[in-house]
Amino acid sequence: MSGHSHRTPDGFAAQAREALGDRTLTQAMRRVTDLFAERRAAALETVPDWQELRQQARAIKLHTLARLDHYLAQFAGAAAKNGAIVHWAEDAAAACRIVGELAQVHRATRLVKSKSMATEEIHLNAALAAAGTEPVETDLGEWIIQLAGEMPSHIIVPAIHKTRQQISELFVDKLGVAPSDEPTVLAAEARERLRQHFAEADMGISGVNFGVAETGTILVLENEGNARMTTTLPKVHVAVMGIEKVIPRFADLEVFLRLLPRSGTGQHLTSYQSLLTGPDVGVPGRAGQGPRELHLVLLDNGRANIAVDETMRETLACIRCGACLNACPVYQSVGGHAYGAVYPGPIGAILTPQLQGMHQAAALPFASSLCGACKDVCPVQIDIPSLLLELRKRAVEGEAPGAAPAKRAAFEALTWKLWAWFVRSPGRYRFAAAMARLGDKLPLVKRLLPPMRAWASSRALPRLAKRPFRAGHKDGGS
Amino acid sequence: MSARETILARLRQRAPDAPPPPPLPPVRSTALLEQPPFASRLAAFTAILAKLGTTVEHVADVATAARRTTELLAEHGARSLASSDHALVAAVTAQLPTDIERLAHDAPRDDLLRAEAGLSSAQWAVAETGTLVLVSADERHRLCTLLPDLHIAVVPASRLVATLGCAFARLQPDAAPAGQTITFVTGPSRTADIELTLVVGVHGPKALRVLVIDD
Repeated sequence: MSGHSHRTPDGFAAQAREALGDRTLTQAMRRVTDLFAERRAAALETVPDWQELRQQARAIKLHTLARLDHYLAQFAGAAAKNGAIVHWAEDAAAACRIVGELAQVHRATRLVKSKSMATEEIHLNAALAAAGTEPVETDLGEWIIQLAGEMPSHIIVPAIHKTRQQISELFVDKLGVAPSDEPTVLAAEARERLRQHFAEADMGISGVNFGVAETGTILVLENEGNARMTTTLPKVHVAVMGIEKVIPRFADLEVFLRLLPRSGTGQHLTSYQSLLTGPDVGVPGRAGQGPRELHLVLLDNGRANIAVDETMRETLACIRCGACLNACPVYQSVGGHAYGAVYPGPIGAILTPQLQGMHQAAALPFASSLCGACKDVCPVQIDIPSLLLELRKRAVEGEAPGAAPAKRAAFEALTWKLWAWFVRSPGRYRFAAAMARLGDKLPLVKRLLPPMRAWASSRALPRLAKRPFRAGHKDGGS
Repeated sequence: MSARETILARLRQRAPDAPPPPPLPPVRSTALLEQPPFASRLAAFTAILAKLGTTVEHVADVATAARRTTELLAEHGARSLASSDHALVAAVTAQLPTDIERLAHDAPRDDLLRAEAGLSSAQWAVAETGTLVLVSADERHRLCTLLPDLHIAVVPASRLVATLGCAFARLQPDAAPAGQTITFVTGPSRTADIELTLVVGVHGPKALRVLVIDD
């Protein structure tokens, strides 16, 4: 792995500065976020009941998450009844162990994998690579990232930080093909190579977008067809599913399918949805065509603790569309890598500290201007700004007493005291305003005392009016 | 304690003063809306698939469908055809010229992997989204609609429903879904992973053609 693994959630500030210095990256980020936001807006115009859909999806999710023990048990029972083999993983290590053992038991050495955030979260590829059976990523973007030994920068288009020239160089280097910066040629190369992997694979690994409690059905959504290949061609299919993906009813899928692609890429529907209810053993007189075994790995890895936290629970309502990334002015500027975590952007800023622990990711809830754009676009109306504030509060409360926060508090109290003293008397106020007008002529940074300089280095204050309003008012209101 | 019990126990650790869970809202489905007439459904289906580069033709009978299938195969230079086991597909393939290599749904995997075209029906087609809904219990569709470069679907006109919700309502006649594997197909395979440039046919079919047959 060429190293981007050194990035950490708490290194956000430095990583963001590094990202801002990378023109290729910032331009690519601006392009993808603008385009997706534009397409999303256009897609929404064709859905008159969009707000009702969001409310419905939110209500379904919040109900399910509050009773997740019930629905999860129901889902597992229904899936098992249909012939799926259900595994429970308390954490990332357990999930990786389960998948590794499945590969071992089936003597599977050639693994293919379709795009899945849950498997990224548990670093499944690294764990399987240690056992000599690293899966081949088959989503085009993920495959590019895997060849390059990098991390995804966007949850929908993982290789968006790479230019076509960089991808061409990568293919020349790793695959020994002739250079071409035509996306169709590069994609055709990927098709050719990955066909071989699909044809030979012993085991396919996928994620899950939705799990239906009443039927035990899983839904996998995609555009390329690689998830269909992964869940059809190998003899064994292993699906890794975060426990929050459960919804109660089969008919609820319609609402989520109307919301998810439109929010993510602005498509009215992605090219393919696979609805899998147990392994495809067929019906009498009609043999199945898919894997003989379907394994479901139900992943907790911190989710249950979020589910029982009344304030933070709605974090788990996320359906991973990526709309909040595209809408976020911070993400638009710095991209996904700066967050130093699998889940970037606003959703990552609330999810990562809760999954990895505040001690590793306390910086992320502060990586936001709280503008609220994420909440406006979220298809399940997650109140991300409020959750960010709650996490900030928890981050500060969790700090050692007597350290920096107390000092900050004293400085803040003094500042407010001074301000109050100046504004209590008209004379003092006029004097302060005159001084401020003088100071206004100097660059902002120079005007501020050292504790405020860091704050001021990335902000611009509005200029004061040349003449106070009071003066104009005295002249007769002109 | 097993991992299952541990996780479920974690989920049951609710605060004693926790408010009761919000209620589950009734199902919201477009199946309950008034359905437009066939001509409108076909127009919508055709228009939305046209945006994805997929043509939809309305043909009168199986003979016409077979003729158009032959022409479409020639247009795409396809000389081998993998078929599903649907009765309508069998009726169409029976009328195809003999110089087209036929591959049955249960042909060896390697043969199916090199098939140049695939022919299936669909259990439902959704006008609003341009989606073909394929159910494994009714049709072995998984390989012939995925592996070849060209996918041709012959769909009975009576199977064209208005919305996704109509399809979901029909896919769950009882408590269980209608098939172990249900596949929704909307246009050809595509990606925008390289600089957001649209590339059609990255893993699945590069082209999809739909023939709606009067029945």
